[in-house]
Amino acid sequence: MTDGLGSRDAVVIERSFDAPVGLMWQMWTDPEHFKAWYGPDGATIPVAKMDLRVGGTRLVCMEMQTPAGPMHMWFTGEYREVVENKRLVYTESMSDENGNVLSASDTGMPAGHPTTTEVRIELEDLGGRTKMVMTHVGIPADSPGAAGWAMALDKLAAHVEAQRGR
Amino acid sequence: MTTAIDEDRLSGTFAALANSTRRAILARLAAGGATVNELAEPFEMTLPSISKHIKVLERAGLVVRGQRAQYRPCALDAARLEEVSTWAERYRPVWEARFDRMDEYLTQLRSQTKEGRRR
Repeated sequence: MTDGLGSRDAVVIERSFDAPVGLMWQMWTDPEHFKAWYGPDGATIPVAKMDLRVGGTRLVCMEMQTPAGPMHMWFTGEYREVVENKRLVYTESMSDENGNVLSASDTGMPAGHPTTTEVRIELEDLGGRTKMVMTHVGIPADSPGAAGWAMALDKLAAHVEAQRGR
Repeated sequence: MTTAIDEDRLSGTFAALANSTRRAILARLAAGGATVNELAEPFEMTLPSISKHIKVLERAGLVVRGQRAQYRPCALDAARLEEVSTWAERYRPVWEARFDRMDEYLTQLRSQTKEGRRR
């Protein structure tokens, strides 16, 4: 699914953590640990269900405080690769609370827009420390977490394109 | 302009875009250049506060201003906007912030373990 995607279509972050590889694995695969760090600023993770096996599903709820009250965003996905302490690959799509994937039009994107992205985590044991490489690939139809201006920015960028094309 | 995206500069651009008035100003400028007076028209705002918003956009490199006399018309610099409108660059700060929190959380866990041992 990543064929033809350039570096501008992927986020790659490499970072070392002062934690053993086993704990780093739990950061991603133990719901209680995952909830503690995953939510973007101003968001919490009230639900994180993880059926940790290839083909198993995951369901994560992000709760954001807005002036109109709490807003919930649900994300579902499937585990593609589960190699303990080494490699974790899962897909991610915006969904409802039952894990039904929302179509592009439900999320306000043009029809035919891909709705699924893929997150890959690679861990390397550095003896007490861990090197982590996170790659997030795809063209998402969801908005980036708390950044509420993303949709407006898309519209604006499209508008700019249109003006330039004239 | 280089193709490498400078992290700090990018943060500045995001901060500038995180405001609905400034996005509206950019949307107006996408239709063509305008003076500060013209930009202020649709908003119930004083000229100085509109000017402040324009200065933020200027510093972020999203807007350029002409040198022509006192009017100094504003124009959109679309290159910067295109840079942040790729989704990958929008997501990067989200992940960076997450991993900062992961780091903090790991530090917390470590100090808890130490306390547990002392007891």
